[in-house]
Amino acid sequence: MQKDYIYIILADDDEDDILFFTDAFDELKINTKVNSFKDGEELMNYLNKDNALMPNVLFLDLNMPKKTGIECLAEIKASQKMSDIAIAIYSTSASDDDIEKTFVLGANIYIKKPSDFKKLKKVLSEVVAINWQYHTNALNKDNFLLRL
Amino acid sequence: MIMNNWFKSTLFLKIILLLSLFVILVIGGLTFRHISNLTSSTEVVVKTYKVNLELEQIISYLRDAESGYRNYIVTKDTFYIESYLNAHKKVNNSFLNLRNLIKVNSEQQENLKILNKLTDSLFSSFAESKVFVKNDETNTETFKTLFFKEKVIIDSIRRQSMVMFQLENKLLNERQKEFQSDLKFTPLFFYVVLLIMLLLIIIAYTKISNDLKNIKAKNDQLLIFKESTNQSEIIGKHGNWVWHIDSDKYVYSDNLYRLLGEEPQSFEATFDNFLKFVHPDDVDKFAEELDKMIDEEELPFTNYRIIQKNGSIKYLKAFAKSFYGDDGQKILLGNTSDVTDEIENILTLEEQNLELEQNNKELSAFNYAASHDLQEPLRKILTFISRLEEKESDKFSDTGQQYLEHIKAAASRMRLLIDDLLQFSRTNKPDKEFVNADLNELFENAKQDLTEIISEKKAQIKIATLPKATVIDFQIQQLFLNLLSNSLKYSKEETAPIIKIYYSKVEADKEPSLYKAPQSHYHKITFTDNGIGFDQKYAKKIFDLFNRLHNKQDYSGTGIGLSICKKIIQNHKGFIFANGEINVGSVFTIYLPVN
Repeated sequence: MQKDYIYIILADDDEDDILFFTDAFDELKINTKVNSFKDGEELMNYLNKDNALMPNVLFLDLNMPKKTGIECLAEIKASQKMSDIAIAIYSTSASDDDIEKTFVLGANIYIKKPSDFKKLKKVLSEVVAINWQYHTNALNKDNFLLRL
Repeated sequence: MIMNNWFKSTLFLKIILLLSLFVILVIGGLTFRHISNLTSSTEVVVKTYKVNLELEQIISYLRDAESGYRNYIVTKDTFYIESYLNAHKKVNNSFLNLRNLIKVNSEQQENLKILNKLTDSLFSSFAESKVFVKNDETNTETFKTLFFKEKVIIDSIRRQSMVMFQLENKLLNERQKEFQSDLKFTPLFFYVVLLIMLLLIIIAYTKISNDLKNIKAKNDQLLIFKESTNQSEIIGKHGNWVWHIDSDKYVYSDNLYRLLGEEPQSFEATFDNFLKFVHPDDVDKFAEELDKMIDEEELPFTNYRIIQKNGSIKYLKAFAKSFYGDDGQKILLGNTSDVTDEIENILTLEEQNLELEQNNKELSAFNYAASHDLQEPLRKILTFISRLEEKESDKFSDTGQQYLEHIKAAASRMRLLIDDLLQFSRTNKPDKEFVNADLNELFENAKQDLTEIISEKKAQIKIATLPKATVIDFQIQQLFLNLLSNSLKYSKEETAPIIKIYYSKVEADKEPSLYKAPQSHYHKITFTDNGIGFDQKYAKKIFDLFNRLHNKQDYSGTGIGLSICKKIIQNHKGFIFANGEINVGSVFTIYLPVN
């Protein structure tokens, strides 16, 4: 399916964060379409549908009800049709444990939610601009966590 | 040593015994010889007298024969011939006796033969002349010659018997002399031998009594030793046992019975009897370990439980060593101690430790969760503030603007605090992995994180070449980061910060501040700055949690950074010291153990 926009999915149970997220993309003036889900189960139900449109980038919060981000990540990477989705972990914390776990499971980048809206916009624009093919090849533990 | 003496002493006594036996044998032999000498001497004397008697008898018989013969010549009465013939028979008898008596003496035998010949020739001459008497031809010349010849023969017989008599006397004299000299030395000899015997007996007696005295002293010592062993067994709650493996005999010390809760020696010391006390769960293990002890000379301690008759369970620890006794028998010598108190203490301690660990974990988890969960609302507050500032600031009054600024400052500070607390609780986490890391690299990483503030403050950082060391890498990086940011934070307003880092490897003995150090060598890294410094009296306090020397309006510290440093250094079993002088600068010295 051809499309002239970047399709972005955000899975996050926090409404405020969804608001910041969509606002940031609105202000960024990049041709994007943002779809959001309130928990992991909702996200996986959508992705598992036969005709589901696969996102260019999936932003995945870790701490979600019903199905955690880690569970979603593992399922996505285990599925043939979804395994190519670029996954950006989008979490409040950046504990070593979480970083290690998600890296091993095959996430593409780890973003610690910024506490400044300007910074948020910067981070999102950068992530959207990433050439995933190139990024994934050069991925290692040190550049996995996005630093600004 | 004792064995050696003992051995010497027995050897000595054996020698004395052998000597005594030898002396007694010698005395017996000599006495026997003397007595038999005496007997033979007496026999010789008797024999000599017998010889002399026989000789004298021969002479006397001859005389009888001669007188009978003469009477016959004068009277021509045949009655005299009878006595003459009788005499002849008796002479022959005496010859036989004599021959027996002088069997051993060849010289006398020769003499006897001569005598015999003489008597024979005398009797044949008598017989010849008898014919003349019968025919009454006594006046003939032939008879007279014959008669004269007889007289000559008789004289010869007398002489010959005299010779024999003298020879026999001479022999007797010689023997008596010999016998006399033997008799003279015998008492002296016996006396000397008896003296030697007496001496030997005295020596043996003193030796034996000395040995006995020694043995008694040793026995006393042994008794004392046994008593003290008993005491120490009771006090130390241990007992010993001996197992003569080949004969399968056991000996248990009194206290071993007490350990089992029994009266000393109240039951027979056997394996089966002991096994009755062993906890059912430990029986197999116990028997197995005992088997191993037989084969191997030394084994680590065996721990097992026993159940006393009153039901109380005791923990015992046994150790045994096998060796061969003097008689080549294999012996297992064991020591068993009651470690119930120890085990119970350890169990209590372990329990307490576990509890403490649990508490610590909970505290750490709480700290982490609290800091972590606090971050989320705070982040939102900050993001909303940034949105407010961006979009709505022109709608605020000046006061409102000011309030907003204060809200922002307070929230930022809270964020800083939470970050630091999170960091602090992370240094408390138990999963610390030591790796061999290049400290230069860790320092560069730390410096990288501070690029912004370094360029902003135009700070100069001069660093010596650091070594490689076995450390928890992310913690050391954090340590460098905290020390650097501390120096940058507390710099003088008008002066660009100059931070110098020195390195040397030092011996603990040569560093006065390391007098308590357990290691011999340390990496010494010194951070010096030209900042505002601090009063030396706070040198220890600045490492305490939430301790701040300056107000938060001027300096943004949370009072956690240096506590984290201290924690990290403690995790590495190192040391950290601070030296400060107000308005001159601070020196932070860290010591990390080499390896």
